[in-house]
Amino acid sequence: MRAREVFVTGYGLVAPTVLDAETLFQRISDRQSCVREHPLFAELGFPNTAAGYLDDEQWRHLNAGFAGDASGQPRQTVLADYVARQALDHAGLSSGAFRQVDSGLFVGSNKYCANSQELDQVSLFLDRQGRLDLDRYMQRPARAEHPFARRVDQQTAYLAASLGIRDHVYTHSDACAAGTMAIGSAYRAIERGDIDLALCGAVELMANELPYSMFNSLGALCQKPEFGAAGQSRPFMRDRCGFVLGEGAALLVLESKQHAERRGARPLGRVLGYANFCESEKMTSSSRDGSTYAHCMEAAIEDAGLLRYAVQHVNTHGTSNQVNDSCEAHALKRVFGKMLGDITLTANKSAIGHSLAGSGAIEAVLSLITLRDGVVLPTLNYDEADAEFPELRLVNQPTRQAVSVVLSNSFGFGGVNSSIVLGRA
Amino acid sequence: MPCANRAVYLHAQAVLNVAGDEPAALRGETPAPRPLSFDPARLAHALATPRLPTDRFDRKIQRSVEPQGLRLLYCAARLARALHALDLPPERVALCAAIPEVDAPSPCWDAVEAMGRQPERPVAGLLANTPPLHALTLLNSSVMAYVAEALHCNGPMGGYCSQANAGLDALIEAVLQVAEDNADAALVISSSPNLTPALYLRDGAGPRETVHGEGAAALLLATAPAASGPRVRIAGHARGYIASAERAEAVLRQVLDQALQGERLALSDVRRIVADRHDPLLAELLRDAPVQAGSRCAVGELGASGLLTDLACVLAEPSTEVWGESHYALLLSHTAAGHVGAVLLAIDEQEKGA
Repeated sequence: MRAREVFVTGYGLVAPTVLDAETLFQRISDRQSCVREHPLFAELGFPNTAAGYLDDEQWRHLNAGFAGDASGQPRQTVLADYVARQALDHAGLSSGAFRQVDSGLFVGSNKYCANSQELDQVSLFLDRQGRLDLDRYMQRPARAEHPFARRVDQQTAYLAASLGIRDHVYTHSDACAAGTMAIGSAYRAIERGDIDLALCGAVELMANELPYSMFNSLGALCQKPEFGAAGQSRPFMRDRCGFVLGEGAALLVLESKQHAERRGARPLGRVLGYANFCESEKMTSSSRDGSTYAHCMEAAIEDAGLLRYAVQHVNTHGTSNQVNDSCEAHALKRVFGKMLGDITLTANKSAIGHSLAGSGAIEAVLSLITLRDGVVLPTLNYDEADAEFPELRLVNQPTRQAVSVVLSNSFGFGGVNSSIVLGRA
Repeated sequence: MPCANRAVYLHAQAVLNVAGDEPAALRGETPAPRPLSFDPARLAHALATPRLPTDRFDRKIQRSVEPQGLRLLYCAARLARALHALDLPPERVALCAAIPEVDAPSPCWDAVEAMGRQPERPVAGLLANTPPLHALTLLNSSVMAYVAEALHCNGPMGGYCSQANAGLDALIEAVLQVAEDNADAALVISSSPNLTPALYLRDGAGPRETVHGEGAAALLLATAPAASGPRVRIAGHARGYIASAERAEAVLRQVLDQALQGERLALSDVRRIVADRHDPLLAELLRDAPVQAGSRCAVGELGASGLLTDLACVLAEPSTEVWGESHYALLLSHTAAGHVGAVLLAIDEQEKGA
């Protein structure tokens, strides 16, 4: 029996091509990919130009929605502000609500990464020896824009101040698991009774040239442009060959059942359980037999006080990376055994790419909509005939299914594993 | 917050800073801060990059990880023996890391240097000079993975990057994991930022007179104290966030009350208080209390490692002869970003042979 139940009462989301969660869910249901050719990657002559990126039109919208001067803010902050407003609106909360109760903010993110526009700005201040003239650089008019002053927790600090958070202010840096871990931390803090209200999730902007170059040189990105942009992320398929870089943000409002009931909030779902573990198998993959991923999933189900047969749907990490998908498939077989045939699975990264820290939070929101609507999202580019693990019940069409419990996985580089269990309201 | 479940003890510590790698060195005369190479008007405590023990870490890690990460790994390695002596299964050892800027913004800074070599082709220069492993450093998880592998920590984990408050975040998470029986021991690892121009460009880097220092600190928490020396139990902890100046005092008082409530203490019951005496908010709250200066005065502002260094000093030198055989120590922190935190330690002499 839980000390306190934890309700989800709102969420906000921005993902490639879309500015809200419902549109993203519908788009994936319609089997439309959000992965496109990135014009910048094409301009730079990258061999593979596919990415799930926020485009100029989206940025115009995000900037217009910002309360102050968006041009003076890091893009992460503008994005976080937009998504937070959505989440609060959805939950029926005013921005002042966090000032009035024990509250927390839990945001996952990775480091700020300068893009080429910012690097071009810096290059204007190089001296004859090619060194940066810091004094001149600092004196330029638009000082707020300088990329080297960016902090990994800048968006957290902005939201904490604007919402008037009183208690917990966390920035998680747990690689691709950071979004799920931020939600998990918020859940634990509420369940434990430390706080009543939390905003949690992740903000990630990595679909630019520097991360592309790095992950590409690591061999982690899909190297087959012949699949076409939309066809490159192919989780669990035999011919998968790496992930597609993505970006986006999702924030969820979590509150204790008591707090939600007191204010008459409509619950959208519940956080039932959570687990996170550090492994040390390899930097970019897990135990080949799936045992460490399985351990994480089992611990989350146990934390929820459930038996494994209670899980009806799994939102997989499913990156389209050759080894990771294999590890996760083996882990799923270990955890669910013969029950696997009764469980539907989805891999959202097939449609939106891998938004790293953001992925777990985005996938949590999509899972909540599945719980609400009873629709399992298709995994794009999935064909059972050519799947490596046909025993996994990934569907390639939207499928009606009443779902009460979803397990959502996030397994990060460096062996950062987390799983969360979500339930219907 | 009181630690209501299992008792959690500070079991072992490791520090590294300009005074050396023993907490006792902070009590003596420490080196004076020196002018920074890139800004001689500023003073700071720079530290030579440590060499990692090759029996613990692969040599390629020494070459590929930047100085913040190496400092952190150096401290973590020094706890390996104490952790090994606990003889715990790896999945019962938690790992909590305060790594606000480990490896970062080095990719950005490498960009500048790469552009410097090829100013006419900035992006090409950048991409050509970015090593593959920087993809992992972008994610902040590489150093956690190296520690997990070298010290066999496969339990619950968390990485935190709220700048100077990240040490408190990591510590509290570690305490909770052990107290709530998710782990039997926890490693808390941290590093200060590197002294680069980027540190001084970042928002919240503090006023110009702030003397930064490079360093690292690591703590081993366990359900039992170390076999020798006084017992140091984490008796309470609390945190808060000051979103607006007018609420600062209320938030700080609430944090203080929460930290003390588990032991039913008043501030006057605490004999030993460690805090930054130059912080106006803390100074006002503690104006009638005897306050010990923390590591900041001796070795500079250590960022995420500051609080953990202060805790290590209390563990290494519990001063029961000065403060009594059984006493409480309270450590308070207040960051430039508005975080406040408190950690209450209950310290008592172990019986001979205990």
